[in-house]
Amino acid sequence: MAFATSVWLHRYAALTRAAWLVDLQYRAAIGIWMLWGVVEPMISLGIWWSIAAGGAVQGYAGADFARYFFAIMLVNQLTVAWDAWILDGWIRLGELNLRLARPMAPIHEAITDNLAFKLQGAVVLGGVWLLVAGFWPAVRLPFEPERWALATLAVVPAAGIRFLSSYATGIAAFWITRATALADLQYGLSLFLSGRIAPLELLPPQVQAAAQWTWFPSMIAFPAEVLTGRISAPGGFWGGFALQLVWLAAWWVLYRLLWARGLRRYAAVGG
Amino acid sequence: MAATIVAEGLSKHYRVKAREAGLRGALVALLRPRYREVRAVEEVSFAIERGEIVAFLGPNGAGKTTTIKMLTGLLYPSGGRAEVAGFEPWTGGAAFKQRIALVLGNKQQLIWDLPAEETFLLNRAIYAIPPADYRERLAELVALLDLADLLDKPVRQLSQGERMKCELAAALLHAPEILFLDEPTLGLDVAAQEAIRNFLRAYRERRGATVLLTSHYMADVSALASRVLIINRGRLLYDGALRELVLRTNPGKRIELVLGNGVERRDLEAYGTVCRYQPPNAALVVPREHAADISARLLAALPVVDLSIQDPPIEEVIREVFAEQAEKDTRAIEVGFERDEGAATGRAADIEAGGGGDKVPVGDRPGRSD
Repeated sequence: MAFATSVWLHRYAALTRAAWLVDLQYRAAIGIWMLWGVVEPMISLGIWWSIAAGGAVQGYAGADFARYFFAIMLVNQLTVAWDAWILDGWIRLGELNLRLARPMAPIHEAITDNLAFKLQGAVVLGGVWLLVAGFWPAVRLPFEPERWALATLAVVPAAGIRFLSSYATGIAAFWITRATALADLQYGLSLFLSGRIAPLELLPPQVQAAAQWTWFPSMIAFPAEVLTGRISAPGGFWGGFALQLVWLAAWWVLYRLLWARGLRRYAAVGG
Repeated sequence: MAATIVAEGLSKHYRVKAREAGLRGALVALLRPRYREVRAVEEVSFAIERGEIVAFLGPNGAGKTTTIKMLTGLLYPSGGRAEVAGFEPWTGGAAFKQRIALVLGNKQQLIWDLPAEETFLLNRAIYAIPPADYRERLAELVALLDLADLLDKPVRQLSQGERMKCELAAALLHAPEILFLDEPTLGLDVAAQEAIRNFLRAYRERRGATVLLTSHYMADVSALASRVLIINRGRLLYDGALRELVLRTNPGKRIELVLGNGVERRDLEAYGTVCRYQPPNAALVVPREHAADISARLLAALPVVDLSIQDPPIEEVIREVFAEQAEKDTRAIEVGFERDEGAATGRAADIEAGGGGDKVPVGDRPGRSD
């Protein structure tokens, strides 16, 4: 058991290191992606800030929007996943073949690639937030250990859900020509239903109700609202956390099912 | 000793969409999709013993790579069974993958933007290679493949031959028992091909590994493999020693000539079958047992500048095997048509006479795939 754990730790360390080194080669591209990670929530903030200039919107004043969208910026970076596009390419272009010939499922390479990017992004975007907080008090968050601990706890399953939903979507490439189309659809829905465009409370009631039946709020909105203090323990936290675990388990089961079935029909094209 | 690679009745069929080219074809395919079955591998059976180097030959689309992908667990077969190193490949899991290596000539596992050594370090972790073993094997591979100057260069800056050498090193660090090499010398220059062949020979001698390789280059086959499997249209046509194949298919010897002035084609025809006449070069095919005697007579009777006796090029031998099979396939289809026509005529006569019914079941028609 100890040997197996040691092997996996060593594998993860080596994979994360390799991913980090590759990212350094593409630092310009990564910088641009991180820049978009800042720009997207700031565009939403700009719009809501100007709306809130005429008065608070359902309890959200300008400063509340500022804290919310900075939290969205950080949580988005800590949960971002692009594996549907990667896996779609692996399957369609034959780049999965050599990965399947290794004694390790390809998902582990995807996980560590993800981890490396998140660590870099968290440092950069966390630094951006600290810098802005230095001269803009509105975005400052109080240092409350319980709040930060709960937010950290909520981010972990959120990242897992987002990763697995992206990876499982990519597995659709075993069946359809462009799994990326499904991924694009999810991306579009998540802009609204995960709180990236607006806090979920400000959406029309019917949309809010529909969102609660999906995994999207668990991915970004929930951890962001824990971070801003709008959700706290015991209040809404443990219920929301339990829902995250349910969605995480559901996507894990779906990934395992789809992967096993997909491999059986895999045509290994592309050399 | 149990064979290390066993395939019994291995088959792989694909259902592919059939459509005509153009916009009309695309629309028709959308509304009324048609499918056809492609039998990429059909009932292939063979056994490879530990330590053998076996070449898998066949034209493009013959089923070589598909067979290798089944034997490495990348594909589930449509029928049959296989056993590799004691495992069923598609269910063997990590323990099975630890014992094999797969090298694809047109795909790579090396990390493109990093030096090859980074991929080696990554594989050391993935395959859980103990540090001392890693150092020893890396030193051996660096020496055999002459990699010392390549290890710290980004892979994207290596030539194709250098990349393939690094690719082989990455694949062999975990000392696999069985190597599956799909076109390992594809696109390489002559020197690089020679280096790869020398390495594979040396590696097999040192490690006793079993090698199954596919190649279009006959030089790979003749330099490395004592046994060949020939596959075409998914079916195994030949399994045996290369020498036996040459003797069986083309029992003649080839006399290559460099002629002096004044030798006409008809002058050569008295000695054997002229297969090439491009003065001053020419070539004759003669019965194997008379090759020496005919050579002596040629040298005595004609102005011959140079002469050599050779086996026919392996490419010719393989082409003859395919041509024989194509003829058999064509004949089988013709026989099938003749039987159909005969049956139709018989049925017409039966119907006239008041009988009827289909006297030729579909499944009995030779040469059909349904």
